[in-house]
Amino acid sequence: MAIRNLLFEHRLVPGIEEIDVYEKHGGYEGLRKAVTLERQAVIDEVKTSGLRGRGGAGFPTWIKWNGLPKNTDKPHYIICNADEGEPGTYKDRELMLKLPHLLVEGMIIAGYAGLGTAGYIYIRGEYVEPAWQVRKAIDQAYKKGYLGKNILGIEGFNYDLYVHMGAGSYECGEESALMSSLMGERGNPRLKAPHAPLPVHEGVWKSPTLVNNVETYCAATWILKNGGAEYAKLGTERSKGTKIISVSGHIAKPANYEIEMGTPLLELLEAAGGVTGGKLKAVIPGGSSVQIVPADKLAGINLDYESCSANGTLLGSGGFMVFNDTTDIVLLMKRTSEFYMHESCGKCTPCREGTRWLFKILDRITSGSGREGDIEMLLDICSQIDGRSYCGLGDAAAWPIVGAIKAFREEFEYWIAHKRSPVGDHAVPPTPVVVNPLLTLTPA
Amino acid sequence: MAESVTSNIREPQPAPVKESRFSELAIAELEEIASHYPERKAACLPALWIAQREYEGYLPPAAIQEVADRLGLSYSEVEGVATFYTMYNLRKRGRHHLEVCTCLTCAVKGAYEVVHKLEKELGVHVGQTTADGEFTLSEAECLDFCGAATVMQVGDKYFTQLTPENVVKVIDELRNSPDYTPAKLADSIVKVLVPGASEQGGGSFSAEDLKNPAGAML
Repeated sequence: MAIRNLLFEHRLVPGIEEIDVYEKHGGYEGLRKAVTLERQAVIDEVKTSGLRGRGGAGFPTWIKWNGLPKNTDKPHYIICNADEGEPGTYKDRELMLKLPHLLVEGMIIAGYAGLGTAGYIYIRGEYVEPAWQVRKAIDQAYKKGYLGKNILGIEGFNYDLYVHMGAGSYECGEESALMSSLMGERGNPRLKAPHAPLPVHEGVWKSPTLVNNVETYCAATWILKNGGAEYAKLGTERSKGTKIISVSGHIAKPANYEIEMGTPLLELLEAAGGVTGGKLKAVIPGGSSVQIVPADKLAGINLDYESCSANGTLLGSGGFMVFNDTTDIVLLMKRTSEFYMHESCGKCTPCREGTRWLFKILDRITSGSGREGDIEMLLDICSQIDGRSYCGLGDAAAWPIVGAIKAFREEFEYWIAHKRSPVGDHAVPPTPVVVNPLLTLTPA
Repeated sequence: MAESVTSNIREPQPAPVKESRFSELAIAELEEIASHYPERKAACLPALWIAQREYEGYLPPAAIQEVADRLGLSYSEVEGVATFYTMYNLRKRGRHHLEVCTCLTCAVKGAYEVVHKLEKELGVHVGQTTADGEFTLSEAECLDFCGAATVMQVGDKYFTQLTPENVVKVIDELRNSPDYTPAKLADSIVKVLVPGASEQGGGSFSAEDLKNPAGAML
């Protein structure tokens, strides 16, 4: 177990972002192998690998690929979700920056298997530098004949790839909101199956659309090059292969670590140099949307989808945040709820109003005006958001707060009773913060 | 009662002035980008980026009108898009827009100390612009470079591993540099969208090593 560099195998090779160097290290072999197979055989290879979506939900990738119609009555669009926005996660940033051809190759393979007409890589607006590397990689791939008309000499395999830049919205990382944004609209989510057709039947421009995360496409490249069976040798029974975990917070060596699925959480913590600045207090293993785990519950958790959810948290997108004992959990949750309040798109009431109420109550508690019954009110609001919002953002706003109250209820009670931090005056994040964030967020 | 009702009615808004500030190059860029999509409307976000560059870093009503005209959309449709995304500036920003990430990891790694230091150093609060128009200070939601906390975005660049001490050095560097403006950010994004453009944008700098763009890579 532990660190296992598949996608990251060549990340330290100088110049690996250039196509010549990439090809010297086995680049575009996956694509060359893929085009010798029938399209269905490519999808079967992904099925054999057991690859599941790396954006956070863990949905089996091959089912999406297989769901695309086998005819081309309408154009098919292949989309890469590179709108990485989850607090704590920065794996896609590094993949695009260092290994852009891994992504481009994966998108071409998906285009071949899914009868793609065009592909779009939706990158968040802030990621100018990673986007540059991806665009450069696309330019180089066109020159080598991996993109364009009759790719690799295959009659009728025409496929174009474009970069699309976002403009600052966490919500656009949600599949249906991303599609709205790609079509030039506000990034609002849409109705989902069973109330509306699946994206693979009717996505952007009412055409079949495939949406996957950056890491998923990169893994598909590896799988086509080395074989699905080889990938499936790694990991656990239901979580195959590797996962890139972005480690940050109070940790000696913050970085992206590619680990084999099922690696014990504590093993990764040790590999990253251990906690700094105090004793370990808690870990958020999968980005801000998942439940926080106190230090005494960490033993026994393995980093795979099943073990995490069996232990009351989620692997999510792999944003692994470590907190030492100077961290005030209530203040941390207040900052978390501020994030979701700011990023809620405003389309549905439970999320638009609920995220504001959560923030206001947590702000009240942490400014010394907490009241009896506030904890119950928080839990009540969370239960009214969870499962009742248009998209997952509402759920993601509720889960961390429910998790924090479950694990650290005494800290919330201490705040309400004593009107100060149980951790002391030097707690992080500090309080008071900048005046009232409701008023101080960026003016439009 | 009648009074309170009428007071809620919005004054008639002046029609946006028609301006045509898109250069020939900008129009060519827009047409190239629009050709990437099956529908012209999809070029709305890129067109707003072009407009933000052509209108010197923000989107006055005239800019939104010009985008609407060029794409064949209504003013309100484009305004709806422009108001949704935080990176489109509806008001003028300072020459440098300092966006300090204060989300989870950055917050526990001292982002608020950096913000307070900047407030003191520049004499403004978060959300305000200095009197000389040099700096606008903002809090940003997660910039997703958490391993290098605290992170600040200025123009198309990231400054990483900031502390209250080294952020002062960054400010000094910015005062003397023309490279970090909101218009530059928009320009870099537009150049990403146009295939074949060769001049590279973006970058991340460790505050300890301002001259070395690779300094803070993890």
